[in-house]
Amino acid sequence: MHITFVKKIKADGSPCRKCAEVEQRLRESGQLERIDTVAIADERDPESSGMLLAAKHGIDVAPFFIVRDDDGAERIYTIFFQFAKEVLNRRLAEQDEAKELLSRDPSLDLL
Amino acid sequence: MAIARADVARLASEYAAKHPREILRLALENVENIAISFSGADDIVLIDMASRIRTGVQVFSLDTGRLHPETYKFLELVRERYDIRFEAMFPDHAAVEKLVREKGMYSFFVDGHHECCGIRKVMPLRRKLATLDAWITGQRRDQSPGTRLAIEVIEEDKSFGTDEKPLLKFNPLAHWTSAQVWEYIRDYEVPYNELHARGYVSIGCEPCTRAVLPNQHERAGRWWWEEETKKECGLHAGNRTKP
Repeated sequence: MHITFVKKIKADGSPCRKCAEVEQRLRESGQLERIDTVAIADERDPESSGMLLAAKHGIDVAPFFIVRDDDGAERIYTIFFQFAKEVLNRRLAEQDEAKELLSRDPSLDLL
Repeated sequence: MAIARADVARLASEYAAKHPREILRLALENVENIAISFSGADDIVLIDMASRIRTGVQVFSLDTGRLHPETYKFLELVRERYDIRFEAMFPDHAAVEKLVREKGMYSFFVDGHHECCGIRKVMPLRRKLATLDAWITGQRRDQSPGTRLAIEVIEEDKSFGTDEKPLLKFNPLAHWTSAQVWEYIRDYEVPYNELHARGYVSIGCEPCTRAVLPNQHERAGRWWWEEETKKECGLHAGNRTKP
């Protein structure tokens, strides 16, 4: 299995807050070492590795994860708690899952 | 459940332009374990339409503990007026206590509404939806052009459903405009939340909702202080290329 973590640099050059949060969670749980490749999606550079991966997979949010299984099949995770649960076998706190659902499902915006 | 996942896309297309009443009928006549999510605002039209199809429809509201007094009065009026099975869903008290203990009563003004809404709305919603096969919402595309343009009248809910326990989501008002909703309210003399008469269009929790000015979009009445952060997760390619 090969895991790519795509994180964003915003158009003003600052790091994406959500990406930093996710990275911190991975670090705190000791699972950052499970990430094989970190790709930067730099909004100032459409040809940065992360932006190219986003375009290739049709993803318009960050962070996201690309998981390539040994048989070559790829899965994309844009929701961190699903990635944590299905790939890292780790369950997040329910309120963290709820917070992420809200930020990732735009139709819940005016709930 | 009489509607298979494989039929969802076909039905969404077939019902895309039909009257909300027909979409509700499809939902209520084909899915037994289904409920309407009622926010206490103009989605009252769903309850009115559903009650004309059958009695005893299951309705739930998310009582965050921070709603306007007018909304509580309206929820009670609706509960008494319509022959429905009404349920209020409350947040987990331990999670609310922890949030307030650590960040106070107005954390959303500092670090955004997602944490508070997650605890007060999404967690109870998730708990309720875990008991259902389908839910009905008042979501409309015109409510937020930035976030709701993609909603279909019928869709599989991938946020709250799973492969093991799929969940259907009916949005009978998806293609209606606010004007059409209010035309129905007037034509059928449907009761409404008195906050609407005071300029409130979208109604949520009291601290996070405000009246809007004429011609101002209803999104402007919610979380107005965090316009920038709501775009935080998007990937926005600029025009710059590598030199």
